[in-house]
Amino acid sequence: MNLNVNSVDSLVAEIQGLSGSTQDVNHLNNLLKQSEDVIRSQAATFASCLTRLDASLHSLGYLYVLEACTAGPIPEAQANELVLSVVRFIDMCSVEQIRLVPDKFISVCKRLHEQVMVLGAPMRAVAPLLTAIRKIQLSSEHLTPLHPDFLQVCLSAKCYKIGYSILEDDILEVDQPRDFFLYCYYGGMICIGQKRLAKALELFHNVVTAPMSSMNAIAVEAYKKYILVSLIHLRQFSASFPKYTSSVAQRNLKNFSQPYIELANSYSTGNISELEAFVQANQEKFENGNNLGLVKQVVSSMYKRNIQRLTQTYLTLSLQDIANTAQINTPKEAEMHVLEMIEDGEIFATINQKDGMVRFLEDPEQYKTCEMIEHIDSSIQRIMKLSKKLTTMDESMSCDPLYLSKVGRERQRFDFDDFDSVPQKFNL
Amino acid sequence: ADINQIKVGLGLVKHPPPPDGKKIIPSVSIPPSEKTLAALKDSTTTQMASSSSGLTFKLHPLVIVNISDHHTRVKSQSQPPTANGFASDATSASSNSPPLSSPRVFGCVIGVQRGRTVEIFNSFELLYDPSTHSLDRSFLEKKQELYKKVFPNFYILGWYSTSADAEESDMHIHKALMDINESPVYVLLNPSINHAQKDLPVTIYESVEAERISVDHVAHLKPSDGGSAATQLAAHLTGIHSAIKMLNSRIRVLHHYLNAMQKGEIPYENSLLRQVSSLLRRLPAIESEKFQDDFLMEYNDTLLISYLAMFTDCSSTMNDLVDKINVAFDRHSRRGGRTAFI
Repeated sequence: MNLNVNSVDSLVAEIQGLSGSTQDVNHLNNLLKQSEDVIRSQAATFASCLTRLDASLHSLGYLYVLEACTAGPIPEAQANELVLSVVRFIDMCSVEQIRLVPDKFISVCKRLHEQVMVLGAPMRAVAPLLTAIRKIQLSSEHLTPLHPDFLQVCLSAKCYKIGYSILEDDILEVDQPRDFFLYCYYGGMICIGQKRLAKALELFHNVVTAPMSSMNAIAVEAYKKYILVSLIHLRQFSASFPKYTSSVAQRNLKNFSQPYIELANSYSTGNISELEAFVQANQEKFENGNNLGLVKQVVSSMYKRNIQRLTQTYLTLSLQDIANTAQINTPKEAEMHVLEMIEDGEIFATINQKDGMVRFLEDPEQYKTCEMIEHIDSSIQRIMKLSKKLTTMDESMSCDPLYLSKVGRERQRFDFDDFDSVPQKFNL
Repeated sequence: ADINQIKVGLGLVKHPPPPDGKKIIPSVSIPPSEKTLAALKDSTTTQMASSSSGLTFKLHPLVIVNISDHHTRVKSQSQPPTANGFASDATSASSNSPPLSSPRVFGCVIGVQRGRTVEIFNSFELLYDPSTHSLDRSFLEKKQELYKKVFPNFYILGWYSTSADAEESDMHIHKALMDINESPVYVLLNPSINHAQKDLPVTIYESVEAERISVDHVAHLKPSDGGSAATQLAAHLTGIHSAIKMLNSRIRVLHHYLNAMQKGEIPYENSLLRQVSSLLRRLPAIESEKFQDDFLMEYNDTLLISYLAMFTDCSSTMNDLVDKINVAFDRHSRRGGRTAFI
């Protein structure tokens, strides 16, 4: 049975008629799929039926027509209207119906994203995209193609807090690798904006070590930022890659980020003036990567690094000595730095202002409190869940035919005594 | 109070729990005197008590020898037609063939109860009055005083007797003893001879308030190693679990009772209320800052250790997984992937 698409009225009637129960909706879905081309070709005429359909009750039909309308190029004049209608739809649509055709929903949202960028008002898409993500996500661990769009919109609109809220979910299922790369990259930048450098580091690390079969630009940019954030946050940088990094990345990433690696090397010497000179010399390169702000933060974190190293050598030190060793200009400035670090919890010290002495103390945490127990307990729960997931993944990997074929091949070299019993290839 | 059964065995004999507490599986037997000693010498294996009340029983060989000696003495004394005042069916068969029913002997067992371990060190004989089916009380108390002077640490833990099975009349004696010891044990030695079995025919009954339990337990002749550390830990945790369960059920009973009293369903009973309030005033048992500190620190340490263990386990799984992924998916595998060896 085909859908009656001869006129707007008949289409509306059909959609309204078949949007009652789940079965009807499925049936409608199939019918609409068949008539997809027709709808698309006559999108302009069908646009008027949008006013007659209710977005929450007839989400599926509405979505098809809406997608057809937005598929083609949109003239500037209509952009605003389009944005409004899509926003309204996202707000009101019903979750079960749109999950039947997720890709249409996603393409509609992507058009929204485009149009707000064209209009120069990214803020308008922040809330709708967040709603859209929550509606189409199968679980909170699922990464949708809308995630990176949402994060980009947040970055452009400087709404870091909302963007950060979505980063707090752990991601365990990814549809498209490109989404993952972009998500981690933008996510890292939002975390930098929120001053959560630890999480930013983790996200950039994910991009750099993600499996990739060939170099991609996102990874290169992420690596540069990774170096800088590592210098600011950890005050050191290790150039060796973990063993789960793809070999492609291991061989090529360093070639693309030469100035950053040299920056890291010069940082490790502890000489501030050298570092500043280096930054001046390569300012252009840093600017090209849009990383100049971060580089400046690296330079200012140098003081803190030096002070931190002093805590490992001295028990008490005068402010004057701190200023001299850490190459800070005046004791007043040194005091300010030390005070900042104490407030941030990076070091434990007391400043005696009368004689200008600073005494470095041990970490006073005794691990005796109930909060610590709760903290450890929740960590144990998390790691139990993680452990279960890992074991299932490990098992499924062991049964993977690709893996088994390679293992079978390699074993021959060692089991030459009984190579007859080892199959050459697993014919599955 | 129900009497439940605990089997004593050397070796790994485990008896299934009796369907109701009164039925008893007949215990195996060996001639009391020589073979007992031989068996005692040879015994090596131990079993952990697995009762829901978590009590561990240690029975000293002296007690077993005492009981069997008592029984043998009485039996040989009753062989000639002159009967004593002991309840029995006198046997007329020759002294070689085992009597069908030998005279029952009775006595008290004494020892120490430390926490969850009940250690029975010694025993002494008692006079049994067949008409009232009870033990001679004054005699018991006299003996008790005497033994107290010699062994000030030992308390009366229960009583013993010899027969093939526990009997209904034993409940009287058991209940009578309950005012000396709130939960006495009943040690039963089966004197009939059975050469086939290797276990000692000793059975220990303990009285339990609520649930039916069945426990396998050992005569400790050497310090028990309790099996591997895992079983030790499991037994320890089971014991704690059942103790807490019992405590919980008792508190619930009290709570229910107090609730009913408050609602007015049961008339007020001031003496009971006084007892409850004095109990509550004794809590919390330890309340000092030092205790809190130490307790929390140790708790944290234990949590940390488990966390570390999980972490290590996870890391190892992760490592394996990463290796597999590298082998499977990395085009330029580090091994160099040459195919055929030949």
